[in-house]
Amino acid sequence: MIAALRRLWETDPRRDPNTLTYTLLVAAAIVVPIVAAASGSSYLIGQIADAGVFVLLAIGLNVVVGFAGLLDLGYAAFFAIGAYVYAELASPYLEAMGIHGGIHLPFWLLLFVGMFVAAGFGALLGAPTLRLRGDYLAIVTLGFGEIVPRVVRNLGPLTNGVNGISAVDPPEMPVWLSGPWSGDPLKIVTDLKVGDPVGYYLIMAVLVAVCVVLVNNLQRSRIGRAWMAVREDEVAAAAMGVNTVRIKLLAFAIGASLSGFGGAFYASKLSYVSPDTFSFLVSVTILVMVVLGGMGNIPGVIVGSLVIYYILYNFLPDLPGYVTAIANSLGATGILQQSGDWPGLGEEVSRLKFLVFGLILVATMLLRPQGLMPSRVREQELQKGTHEDTTIEDVTAATTGVG
Amino acid sequence: MERPIAAPRATPIRLRGLVSSRVVNTIVLVLVAVVGVLVIARIWHRGPGYFAQILVYGVANGSIYALIAIGYTMVYGIIELINFAHGDVFTLGGFVALALLPMFGVKEGQPTSAVILPLLITLVVSMLFCGGVNVLIERIAYRPLRHAPRLAPLITAVGMSFTLEGIMFLWRGPFFLHFPDLLPRARIVLGPDTTIGAKELTVIGVAVVLTIVLSLFVERSKLGKAMRATAQDRDAAQLMGIDINTTIALTFFIGAALAGAGGVVFGLYFNSLSFDLGFSAGLFAFTAAVLGGIGNIYGAAIGGLLIGMVQSFSDGYFDSTWTQVVIFAVLILVLVFRPTGILGMRVPEK
Amino acid sequence: MQRRWLLTVLAAGSVVAAACSTGGTGGGAPSASGSGGTSKGEIIIASDLPVSGADASDGIPTQNGVQFAIESTGSIKGFKLTWKGFDDTVNGAHDPQKGAQNVQQMLSDPKILGMVGPFNSNVAAAEIPVGNKGSLAMVSPSNTNNCLTQDTFGGKPCTDPNPKNIRPSGVNNYFRIAAPDSFQGPAMADYAYDTLKLTKVAVWSDNEIFGKGVADTFQAEFIKKGGQVVVRQDFDTKVTNDWKPFLTDAKSKGAQGVYAGATSGTKACIPNAQMAGIISGSYMTPDGGVNSQCIKDSGSNSADLYGTVAGANAELNPDAKATIDAFKAKFTKKDDIGSYTFMAYDCAKILIDAIGRAIDANGGNMPSRQQVVAALAKTSNLKLTTGTYTFDKNGDPTTPTMSIYHVQGTDWAFIKQFGVGGS
Repeated sequence: MIAALRRLWETDPRRDPNTLTYTLLVAAAIVVPIVAAASGSSYLIGQIADAGVFVLLAIGLNVVVGFAGLLDLGYAAFFAIGAYVYAELASPYLEAMGIHGGIHLPFWLLLFVGMFVAAGFGALLGAPTLRLRGDYLAIVTLGFGEIVPRVVRNLGPLTNGVNGISAVDPPEMPVWLSGPWSGDPLKIVTDLKVGDPVGYYLIMAVLVAVCVVLVNNLQRSRIGRAWMAVREDEVAAAAMGVNTVRIKLLAFAIGASLSGFGGAFYASKLSYVSPDTFSFLVSVTILVMVVLGGMGNIPGVIVGSLVIYYILYNFLPDLPGYVTAIANSLGATGILQQSGDWPGLGEEVSRLKFLVFGLILVATMLLRPQGLMPSRVREQELQKGTHEDTTIEDVTAATTGVG
Repeated sequence: MERPIAAPRATPIRLRGLVSSRVVNTIVLVLVAVVGVLVIARIWHRGPGYFAQILVYGVANGSIYALIAIGYTMVYGIIELINFAHGDVFTLGGFVALALLPMFGVKEGQPTSAVILPLLITLVVSMLFCGGVNVLIERIAYRPLRHAPRLAPLITAVGMSFTLEGIMFLWRGPFFLHFPDLLPRARIVLGPDTTIGAKELTVIGVAVVLTIVLSLFVERSKLGKAMRATAQDRDAAQLMGIDINTTIALTFFIGAALAGAGGVVFGLYFNSLSFDLGFSAGLFAFTAAVLGGIGNIYGAAIGGLLIGMVQSFSDGYFDSTWTQVVIFAVLILVLVFRPTGILGMRVPEK
Repeated sequence: MQRRWLLTVLAAGSVVAAACSTGGTGGGAPSASGSGGTSKGEIIIASDLPVSGADASDGIPTQNGVQFAIESTGSIKGFKLTWKGFDDTVNGAHDPQKGAQNVQQMLSDPKILGMVGPFNSNVAAAEIPVGNKGSLAMVSPSNTNNCLTQDTFGGKPCTDPNPKNIRPSGVNNYFRIAAPDSFQGPAMADYAYDTLKLTKVAVWSDNEIFGKGVADTFQAEFIKKGGQVVVRQDFDTKVTNDWKPFLTDAKSKGAQGVYAGATSGTKACIPNAQMAGIISGSYMTPDGGVNSQCIKDSGSNSADLYGTVAGANAELNPDAKATIDAFKAKFTKKDDIGSYTFMAYDCAKILIDAIGRAIDANGGNMPSRQQVVAALAKTSNLKLTTGTYTFDKNGDPTTPTMSIYHVQGTDWAFIKQFGVGGS
């Protein structure tokens, strides 16, 4: 333990930013909930658990996009599949189909069912399309991402159509320790239905940690190296004996499975699923998280997903409040009031949300095209590539006079 | 346009180990045949007049998609970027026209003769404006990332899309905007139960004229040749003395001008606009571009028409809830069995 | 090592969560001073509505109503009354997850004793369980999905949502003042068949919870009356711009009118403009279409436009005139008023009334959330701008009112209103 800490202390963060990031993330995962709880904003803990779903999704998409280099624009489809599998099998809904009381399978089992069903769909979609090259896969996945929520919406009695499925079972812990913190005497309880943000948070933290470890190990395994080979040069990889179709299919299915996994947790946490919540925009948002964080680099992706989640769910909704508060403290109350065409500062800012998000994306990518925390290998490739291309650019500039 | 430059290299599908490709192909063929028979039976049942009417609406609707799809396909052809902001440039065209028309004193209910000139001016100004905006977007958000990882410009494209939507939201608010109903109401009777209105004719006419002008430009002019060369091999084109930056900017300009024209025509045809219109319209137009064979201008036009017609026929003969599912299923099937799209792609594999 | 950390987190978190959920009871001087003072502290009424992106066209006018009701009241029995608006959109579309988070956030602020909202029924399905666990009083101006409050819908049991399943505490905390779907569709169907003398109509919906619900109930009632629904389609209005194939289909089958189960935010009246030259007949919408937006969208084809509103006409109520004038003085643009503005105003007023009674019940002190919910359930004969409200045991208004409107000239004109009680 001490030796490990010492090693950590002595590493140069510039040489190994990932270790530092992991340490900070773990520290934050422990400290933030305590601070949030102590400062009376326990809802924040629940919100971090929600953010965890997106962290899972981003890690999964990172396997597809970052490791194997396949562009997936319909990732939310697998998210939807996982969520609906959970909702169907752990809610009173199937009573409508004549099953008394519906089906209530255990949470932990269903996490894996959701995962495997989503992976199955991933393989089904991937098998015929992964032979296509380049962006055609992106477009097929885009189509699939558009089809799934619409099919769910149209299936009427099977999925309850547009109404969605409500009263989905919360996560359960087979064994749990109750005590003064939940207002009970200290004892071990069994089959506890988790209902408070802290419980969600703990489950989420464990799930994310497990997935990070798994995906990290995958990346370093033979499969991970094969992904990298396929990503860099598919023809060369095939020539070296990599079964490119199989290896791509594997990436695709693993990505889908993590999405299904996240979907199942999402359904149990929200206790409701609706076909509206798995639109193309969700796929795009997850992709933005991965690319902005730093494709291929897991800590980068985690940071990216947390940053984007924070912007979308906290920063932008609260922005009018912040601005109003600043204006108030400056004494500029005049601009807060509504008058004529001016809707008041807070309202005006709330109309700016789209614009602000767009500009944040553009600015971040321009400043850090490789993402906030790129993988080191990719960063080096990038620098090399730029260098070569710049030379050609310079020659042109010299000959044609256009830079 | 001439034959595709690169032979399609995607391997035909073979689900080796599961079933032989012959079985799969037979199953798919049988399915397609069954669906085809059902469709024809339904169409036969409703009679030819109804068919022709739905066709007219489908072509008009598809013409708008075609105008947007051409810009997508050109941009993708030259820098392999899915320009998500393109759909919003299309909306912008409509918004600009909506702002310009009152300046010319155009109002609903005026005689057509008084409206034609202002409309033409509006169309041209909107096209130029959208072209300018798109060149600006390319300069700010895409050009600095030309050597960055491939997905970086994709994210700035999403960002530009949100930015444009945000600007239009600020400009005109979240509500649906009424676009003045300026075109004559007269309808020409084509046959029993079939009419075509001045609106449909205008939409189709603008799309056809612009597509022809564009393809002439790309095939005959020197700049067009530069565009094709750049699309084929950017480095080689550069070595041949083609100014890459100008050529790419020109591509963005032309694509956006067509989309802007699409926006104006959309407003005239549907008389309604909203700030977020471009997101879904862009998605379908992109699908159209891929269906036709990405990088291929005629392909994009045909893909657009096809999507418009699938929509009309699905809404008019079948169940509209499944319309979008049908469109994307057609897309997936086409890509799996003919990966280069209907007319073949013109993007070299890299 | 790790486990001990986690336990500490759990302990700290749960204690605070428990403290929060019981609400800030107690505190404050026992004696009740005049209602004008604000010495005893602050009470917040929150709203949760979709106020950005495409949904803002519904959300902003509704939020204006809440804001106006609370700011014009100012204080209640010695407590300062303030409004706090939450937005349940993410990327410009209403999001159940964001809604549930907002409610969770409201629960963590002991000063928030109730909320107005949500606007969308699917957001409600995610919010009600969260609010229910914390006994937060919720009053929605616009949710009309029957199954949010009732066990049966159209004679069939509600399996999903089911009121019992989404209220884990067993005590109802969710109330609404809009007449449920089961009234609005049939009201228009009756009017279309009996008064407009239509026998063949085409029906479309936006395939959303509200739109599809009213379209289904319209269709059922119209057929029951003896009419014929010649075409029925559900559209994804986000991607559909062209209704001409649908209208052509309807015309070829002899439709005399079209019923749109949609709201202005889902293009309710855009097909009406496209009807010109295809069908000349009546166009009917539910209350999401009874607004100036609909007339604008109809273009030159707005003459034969009818709509229902699941509430009474505030402008008809002489007592409400002063309120409406004051509102119009503060919110000057036409878009500021929507069909739910005064419904939302009334929701806020109902909450204020309940909080007032809860304060009394608690001896002039800050009431607990449970006390507010209990007072809210006892709301009876409260005369407000859109009607006189009493809640039944489900949380529905006992005598919901339905009004029918018709476009005359360039604006909606009231035709008649009637009670549709006896749920």
